[in-house]
Amino acid sequence: MISNFIPGLIMIITSFLLPTIPQYFRHPAMLLSVGLSALSLFNGYGTFLEWDILGLNLILYQSDSLTLPFAIIFHIAAILVIIFSWHSKNLMEHMATLAYAGSAIGALHAGDFFSLFIWWEATALTSVFIVFAGNTNTAKDAAMRYLIIQVSSGVLLLIGACLMLYQTGNHNLVVLDLKTNFGIFIFIAFGIKAAFPLLNGWLQDSYPESSVTGTVALSAFTTKLAIYALARTFPGTDSLIWIGAIMTAFPVFFAVIENDLRRVLSFSLNNQLGFMVVGIGIGTELSLNGTVAHAFVHIIYKALLFMSMGAVLYRAGTTKASELGGLYKYMPFTTIFCIIGAMSISAFPLFSGFVAKSLIMSSLGGMGMVLIYFILFFASAGVLEHSGIKIPYFAFFAHERKNKVKEAPINMLIAMGIAAFLCIAIGVFPKYLYQILPYAVEYQPYTLDHVISQLQLLVFAIIAFLFLVKFKLYPSEIRSTVLNSDWFYRKMLPGIGKPLFIKIGLLTDSLYKNLGLSFKQVLSKSYKFSNLSYIKVTTPSFAGTILISILFIMLVIVLV
Amino acid sequence: MKKNDLKSMGKSFTKYVLIIGALLILLDFTFHRHEYFSFAEIYGFPAFFGFVSFVFIVMLGKWLRKFLMRKEDYYDQ
Repeated sequence: MISNFIPGLIMIITSFLLPTIPQYFRHPAMLLSVGLSALSLFNGYGTFLEWDILGLNLILYQSDSLTLPFAIIFHIAAILVIIFSWHSKNLMEHMATLAYAGSAIGALHAGDFFSLFIWWEATALTSVFIVFAGNTNTAKDAAMRYLIIQVSSGVLLLIGACLMLYQTGNHNLVVLDLKTNFGIFIFIAFGIKAAFPLLNGWLQDSYPESSVTGTVALSAFTTKLAIYALARTFPGTDSLIWIGAIMTAFPVFFAVIENDLRRVLSFSLNNQLGFMVVGIGIGTELSLNGTVAHAFVHIIYKALLFMSMGAVLYRAGTTKASELGGLYKYMPFTTIFCIIGAMSISAFPLFSGFVAKSLIMSSLGGMGMVLIYFILFFASAGVLEHSGIKIPYFAFFAHERKNKVKEAPINMLIAMGIAAFLCIAIGVFPKYLYQILPYAVEYQPYTLDHVISQLQLLVFAIIAFLFLVKFKLYPSEIRSTVLNSDWFYRKMLPGIGKPLFIKIGLLTDSLYKNLGLSFKQVLSKSYKFSNLSYIKVTTPSFAGTILISILFIMLVIVLV
Repeated sequence: MKKNDLKSMGKSFTKYVLIIGALLILLDFTFHRHEYFSFAEIYGFPAFFGFVSFVFIVMLGKWLRKFLMRKEDYYDQ
């Protein structure tokens, strides 16, 4: 019965029933569905549901020690998001959020690449509506770009899965390497969702454009699902160590100059994923535990930070640092919760980030990887800069505020309160977190050496901040756009492609004239424009064409 | 009083942070801090590393503005 019902599926079914449920009962119904789905957490380990179809054996529901911690935190995140959005009446967003969380939970329990692919695409198709819910023109454009990138990731995964089945006769989720062509396809598919360097543009492009509540939901699932998938199929892949290290260091510089605080948090999210990717790359029991622990605590404090910025957006109408400041007087609780989130992500001792990041740092230290160790140590100072200081400082302090705003609604405060409580509870009692990690490892994060070393790093980084502010060296906030890797498909490709596209069109025009078929006519018919000069090649569709052609070329190369 | 709220908060915050920082450095002399890499065991190494990293990040970020910063409506043009 319920025991072999795929976890998360009940949430998806409920999301489709939401329109039939009266407004006041929608949130309780959503919570109930998450609760029912969470019953699966007590099922233990094993394979619970398989389906033989088209000669394939799909493993729809399996669970083991790697699945469980992710399943627990995904359920917690779903509950936090539902409470945080209790005040909202946006039905589409509620449906999308619940189905999105359900799909992500379903994906965790897939035992083969084809089932994973279905859930992989389901998370893309449901979450795009959450980006859409930002309800501005920029949000709608970003949503289309987001969809193209996410679906491309799914297509690559499908190509990889098909090649794997064709070449090995196996399609189960097993450990892969980069020596096989299907391994590379699957690696890139996961890499897109995990926001690897240069594949990360979609994240900072779309997340900050979503609604007050939507960004919180987005921050929890997609990227951590990718981390889970990488941890399952590519543990100990050396290249991940360097990829991860670059991910921790690079976004730091972008976050320093970004003006939109929710975009700063998106860069910071990218940087946090880097720590997890390094852990997967090392591939020891200790480091994989570190990755899982970090994903677990990260979901909570990142959600907390996005919630606090959501509350600021809801009350003050913007999250642009250049227009904020002095909110501590009007939103004292939000300020405190934000600071708790900031201290957790900065890995202050007694906060959750510390007990998780220590595992990864210790495994690096134990392996003697000195360069990577100090890149991550350096990135820790960067985390403190953008998430620990910049976010709370520019939103709540910086300078006095003239017009009043109200404190966040009670439901938001409750959701932030729960998240803040968890951040501290895990930091103070790490053994409960360590108990649910995939491998049984005895680890003590609170040694005098480690605490003093971390505190010195953080406190002197704060002193550096005070020093820079004192001597007016700290960069002031400027309303601006910071270029990121999405520039390649938002500006460069259309810049090259648009004139080329029209030129080729005009060339073929003369060829086809004899056939009575004009490129102009064809285009004007299909685009419903009467004149070529009106043809506007929109970025998403153009980027889409390019992506599809790249995918097609890759497929041809592999098949040949 | 009200006008100076943020200023006085900033001042006392600075004071406490400096005191804690000084204590942390002093603490370093009272015991041998074990690290994975021997050069990190030099007195006050993490403190120095934190300070320098932070300044470096901010300064390099500021410099990168030259190349990465565009107008707010850059993508709408």
